[in-house]
Amino acid sequence: MTDPIFIERLPAAGDEWIDRDQRLCFSFEGRCHRAYAGDTVSSALWGNGVRLLGRSFKYHRPRGVYSMCGHDANVMLEDGETPNIRGDTTLVEDGMELTAVNTVGSLRHDLAGLNDRMSGFLPVGFYYKAFHTPSWMFPNWERMIRGIAGLGKVNPAAEWKPSPKGYDACDVLIVGGGPSGMAAALAAGRAGGRVVLVEDTRCLGGSLCYAGATAPESAATVNSMRDELEKLENVEVRLNTSVRGCYSENWLAFIGPGGLTKMRATAVVVATGAYEQPAVFRHNDLPGVMLGTAAQRLVHLYRVKPMQRALVLVGNDYGYGVALDLKAAGVEIAAVADFRETIGKGELVHDVKTAGIEILAGQGVYEARPAGGLVGIKGARVCPVNSAGTGLSTSATNVNCDGIVMATGWAPAGDLIGQAGGRLDYVPEAAQFRPGELPPGMFAAGRVNGVFGVDARLEDGEHAGGQAAAFAAGKEVPARRRPADEITAPSYPYPIIKHPKGKAFVDFDEDVQVKDIVNAVKEGYDSVELVKRYATVGMGPSQGKISNLNSSRVLATATGQAVGAVGYTTFRPFTRPTTIGELAGRRFHPDRRTPIHSRHQAAGAVFMHAGAWLRPEYYGPLVRHQAIVREVQAVRRRAGVIDVGTLGKIDVCGADAAEFLERMYTGRFSDLKLGKCRYALMCDESGVVADDGMSARLGDDRFYVTTTSSGSAAIVREMKRWAIIWGLEVTIIDHTGQFGALNLAGPESRRILGRLTDLDIGADSFEYLGFRQAVVAGVNCRLMRVGFVGELGYELHVPAQHAAVLWDAVVEAGQPEEIMPFGVEAQRLLRMEKGHQIIGQDTDALTTPLEAGLAWAVKMAKPFFIGQRSLKIIAPRPNVRSLAGFVMHDSTVMPAECHLVVDGDEICGRVTSIARSPTLGQVIGMAYMRPDQTIPGTVIDICVEGRLVQAEVVKLPFYDPSNERQKS
Amino acid sequence: MPHRLLRFGLSKKYNEPRMFRSPEQLKKSYDVVIIGAGGHGLATAYYLARDHGITNVAVLERAYIGGGGTGRNTAIVRANYLTPEGVAFYDESVRLFQDLSADFDLNLFYSQRGHFTLAHSDASLRTMRWRAEVNKHLGVDSELVDTAFIKEKCPHIDLSCGGHAPVMGALFHPPGAIARHDAVAWGYGRGADQRGVEIHQQTEVTGILVEGDKVTGVQTNRGTVETSKVVCAVAGYTPPLLEMVGIKTPLVIQPLQACVSEPLKPWLDTIIVSASLHLYVSQSSRGELVTGASLDPYPIHSTRSTLDFVEGLSGHLLDLFPFLGDVKIMRQWAGLSDVTPDFSPIMGLSPVEGFYLDAGWGTWGFKATPVCGKTMSYTVAENKPHPLIEPFRLSRFKEFELVGEKGAASVGH
Amino acid sequence: MKIMTCPVNGPRPLQEFVYGGDLTEMPCPDQATDEQWAAYVFERDGAPGLHKEWWYHAPSGVWFIAERDTGTDEICRTYLYND
Ligand SMILES: Cc1cc2nc3c(=O)[nH]c(=O)nc-3n(C[C@H](O)[C@H](O)[C@H](O)COP(=O)(O)OP(=O)(O)OC[C@H]3O[C@@H](n4cnc5c(N)ncnc54)[C@H](O)[C@@H]3O)c2cc1C
Repeated sequence: MTDPIFIERLPAAGDEWIDRDQRLCFSFEGRCHRAYAGDTVSSALWGNGVRLLGRSFKYHRPRGVYSMCGHDANVMLEDGETPNIRGDTTLVEDGMELTAVNTVGSLRHDLAGLNDRMSGFLPVGFYYKAFHTPSWMFPNWERMIRGIAGLGKVNPAAEWKPSPKGYDACDVLIVGGGPSGMAAALAAGRAGGRVVLVEDTRCLGGSLCYAGATAPESAATVNSMRDELEKLENVEVRLNTSVRGCYSENWLAFIGPGGLTKMRATAVVVATGAYEQPAVFRHNDLPGVMLGTAAQRLVHLYRVKPMQRALVLVGNDYGYGVALDLKAAGVEIAAVADFRETIGKGELVHDVKTAGIEILAGQGVYEARPAGGLVGIKGARVCPVNSAGTGLSTSATNVNCDGIVMATGWAPAGDLIGQAGGRLDYVPEAAQFRPGELPPGMFAAGRVNGVFGVDARLEDGEHAGGQAAAFAAGKEVPARRRPADEITAPSYPYPIIKHPKGKAFVDFDEDVQVKDIVNAVKEGYDSVELVKRYATVGMGPSQGKISNLNSSRVLATATGQAVGAVGYTTFRPFTRPTTIGELAGRRFHPDRRTPIHSRHQAAGAVFMHAGAWLRPEYYGPLVRHQAIVREVQAVRRRAGVIDVGTLGKIDVCGADAAEFLERMYTGRFSDLKLGKCRYALMCDESGVVADDGMSARLGDDRFYVTTTSSGSAAIVREMKRWAIIWGLEVTIIDHTGQFGALNLAGPESRRILGRLTDLDIGADSFEYLGFRQAVVAGVNCRLMRVGFVGELGYELHVPAQHAAVLWDAVVEAGQPEEIMPFGVEAQRLLRMEKGHQIIGQDTDALTTPLEAGLAWAVKMAKPFFIGQRSLKIIAPRPNVRSLAGFVMHDSTVMPAECHLVVDGDEICGRVTSIARSPTLGQVIGMAYMRPDQTIPGTVIDICVEGRLVQAEVVKLPFYDPSNERQKS
Repeated sequence: MPHRLLRFGLSKKYNEPRMFRSPEQLKKSYDVVIIGAGGHGLATAYYLARDHGITNVAVLERAYIGGGGTGRNTAIVRANYLTPEGVAFYDESVRLFQDLSADFDLNLFYSQRGHFTLAHSDASLRTMRWRAEVNKHLGVDSELVDTAFIKEKCPHIDLSCGGHAPVMGALFHPPGAIARHDAVAWGYGRGADQRGVEIHQQTEVTGILVEGDKVTGVQTNRGTVETSKVVCAVAGYTPPLLEMVGIKTPLVIQPLQACVSEPLKPWLDTIIVSASLHLYVSQSSRGELVTGASLDPYPIHSTRSTLDFVEGLSGHLLDLFPFLGDVKIMRQWAGLSDVTPDFSPIMGLSPVEGFYLDAGWGTWGFKATPVCGKTMSYTVAENKPHPLIEPFRLSRFKEFELVGEKGAASVGH
Repeated sequence: MKIMTCPVNGPRPLQEFVYGGDLTEMPCPDQATDEQWAAYVFERDGAPGLHKEWWYHAPSGVWFIAERDTGTDEICRTYLYND
């Protein structure tokens, strides 16, 4: 293997971010590179002289370092595991093997680079204008387009890693650890209360970490503030943590070393600084053209010399500082081109002049001159400009350089303000947006607030910190005020120079050029939102952070409006793309298990999900069908036991308990005798079947009600609400989780139960639909004699902690009869043989009791029940469909549930339940059909896989129509 | 390179005509005023002009073309509904969609990807079969499929669902498609504009003039216009407009959220929906995963995103695609959904003469855009409901004749 | 995430609550016409503005009324039904 590439850095400086004692190795596009710990991939590569770091999305143009702070969406890497790794902010780790995303061949020899030459044929929105005719060709084109779209590759074999999540709360949250944020933290911290300061990068200081000549005293300032902050115990500083979104009521999401933190802050100070904005000219995207702050970051943080000879293009005084920094780093400064006709008189300008650097006032860059293969530049053509952004090519002069460094202005990092519902207003004097009205509890300070001088930022931060602390403490909040700022216009209003040949990029993620926006406007897409959608400005991974402002400027010019009138597109989370893994956290999947769960496991149950519950579907080891038949036969012939602990179990008590049930349910309950239970059907207000269960009378003023498993929470809730509305003296106690329950059923069940209790359970003393409270197997138990499965049977309800004991006792006591546990499937079959409906299976979201064959349970003569008034409207009309039973004489073709009952073209209904009945030896089912078809003997057509099969309608139930067995 | 693009490279000038004009002023009167320049409003205008020769039409839009649900939705188009009424209606829309790019001469990227609605329980398997059976009966390509089939079409899916509630089968709907939603509005807008319809953006309707029981005009922030026919096609903004004419409906407005990932190389060819996981996802032709969940739990008329939504959604995405942990979500957003109790729309005539309703689009209205245009234009021109929308009349509620689409419309969109 | 104040349990994250629809008054079933009854069952006041709504604090089972602006999602007041 070849030696790793490494070029030594600039001499060490005290505040650099690299650790020269730790050397790392990594590979990029198959070449080995050396780096220092603390390097990002981009800093290491650029330091090693690599200029081609990635390719653009659409034209596959070479791209290099641009912002060095997370907006370099074209330096996107992958390692086979993770797609879309940002080179500019991702730290090098030893052994990394990286390649650039989205190249055809390799980064250097990217065949898709041809797109750039074809760019004339691929104008804005080109894909709307072609490929659709002839239409049969479109799928082919589409396949091709899908193939070339997209950036990184996912690895379908990648394993999921849980990621932690945490909650936190504070009085004042400060976002951004630059000078204004630190000042705010100090002010808020001194006022007391819990203050949290989050900083995206690895240390406090913000822009002062790399400010160089632009803020010479910065190291001292940062150090002393950091020391101060450390003394405040109520201030917590979180580094490497970035706020990703601000949601309603100051609920913020950040990602840091501990994963996702969800923070509730009473007050928030947004001190997020500003995004430096590029100038726009032909070839402003090529490697070597970069933002001033990117050059400063390379120089000060990573000690990388960004280029050999630079043209510094400025629109503010800050850029002069950048020029000085570069010069100090050994970069030859070809010239400073200043967009402004009248250049500033500040110290930095003075120093540049003193240093003998040539200043070209009123000049911008007409174009960069590409080096071979567009990988880098070899010079710039500089020309005088006017404010409309037309450069005069005729008077352009050549400047030789391998880098163009742009310091022409800023956009506030106002994402969180926008997300929180605040506004940014365009301030023409400053040529940029500034926070306007802020939402309650949110304050802004520093550069995001349009304040640029260091002293002013400190003052602004201190004031905002004080405001936030006052707000958090519920005190009067001092008025907003702007500190005097020595820097008045940090942004140049129109750093954009058109070029007849184009390739002047506004958006790098999406390769949107000035002319694309102009052409979009010509086509009628003349508002920011329409331009965004048509030209895809700001739609890429950097979400417009270094393109939206220029886009608004171009749009304003093209439509003859002011930038303020054009405005900006909505700020949406996330401020920075956030991984699905971090957002998902640990992915909890709570399952509800009944207290008897372990017994089912031991008995070889196969479980199924029933809503939130896990229930035995059937018991192995037989295959499904055989197991179910065996369980059914056990119940019919001997005895079986099923866990019904998932049912809703509710005590309804109070003087008005009976009246309450009269109103909640369709049946009668005031006449229900003590020691009796009854079927209970519930409708919603529109008369649709909502739930069912049993209701037992425990006392004059006490009932015990069961509900369906899935309905229980909602039924308890609705009961509580109606109790309040009706003002009845009734209390609803939800025992669903507190009680376990089982159903012992089958001809031998009396004998088995008798072994476990002293209660007189003789056929006459504990009759069908009787209810008792007694000790069974040493446990206090509520017993209901019910017949859901159509046999003699007892439902036993006990406190959850005794449920397993009871189960064991029943199973034990049933040994002589070979009792068998049965699951949900056997129960479904058994109840169907008996013609009992399951709410939700044999009914749907619009079924009335009249259609479902439940009219017998509806007492329309009562004064009132929920749904009654609606049923009075519906009842006089003929039903559209009715539920009825059917049998199949020829069961070679077996319909499935939800196969349709049809009559010619007409859909009459559907099969809701069907099974081969082991008891009856034939296929039986229930189905909705036209009411005239429900007459027994009618032959109906069921459509099965396109074939019509015949079934004969029969009277329900199929099994034991005289109810002898369940009543026995 | 399609020859269509040659003209751009070969011509020095950019000669593309405007898609839509921006008329300076509102006229004094129009034959028809359509409120809302979403897909539905623009489609109605388009077919009014094209099929019914009614061109003295204004579409009034308070913001910009397609800025409502039309530009916020996740663009799933399908016809595998549950009720015969719903299936017939949406199927007609799918048919219209298939020819729309050619109709407009604008590529809508209408892309038939196949649509899976996963079932994780036997209860949902039953509902899927019900839908499949109704669909097939009405000639819609729709089938209940087993897990092997799902795996074949979507090889990267984890059918065990991380061990929790495994996938048991799915409803597969081959015609299920996605499209460039904005372009649908633009195409209808251009077509209407070319036929004389005026589209007025930044024009908010602030009042509706009614005399007796008849509409006579609308008030806007740019003045009043006379008209005897008003189509209300404002989806999530319907209730305040109905207040202006005193019509009561069951509509409730709830936000629906969605989000989009960074672009990835294509790996997901189909549209995957899971109602139990409250999740649906597709991959756009740009390579982004476009994904969303069910409605927000309570009414708000605001399009602010929530963190809950994207946390929950992320977890569920990993249930089906556990390898996406390192994929990044770029942005999230919300739109307003006008939800009805039966998950079917409310369309047609209203108690106020000349006031036509096109509402109740909830989470499912994008796919209906073409058929709404067709049927609403007919309804307005003839002043009687088009047969396809008869079942969706407002009066069905007081008649207790709901069209129950809950089982097919909620998360499935 | 929003905070809602349960009149019994105090401020709690919104996730603990279940929305229960607008507070409406049931017309007398015997006196209401079919149409009035259908209106009660189906019609909603869907426009943005201050609504009186039912909310349920699920962990404790408390129903209460919240006065909430559905336009801004601002909760102005919460109180028990009988207050
Ligand atoms: C996140 C999300 C995902 C969705 N996914 C899907 C999907 O996959 N498939 C699907 O079929 N549907 C989906 N939908 C639903 C779909 O987006 C809508 O139902 C559909 O876009 C409605 O279209 P429309 O033209 O009726 O209304 P809109 O597009 O909302 O247009 C209404 C217009 O009316 C304007 N307006 C409002 N008030 C006034 C006034 N007073 N004066 C003038 N103009 C006014 C608005 O500004 C808006 O532009 C989704 C919705 C959302 C929010």
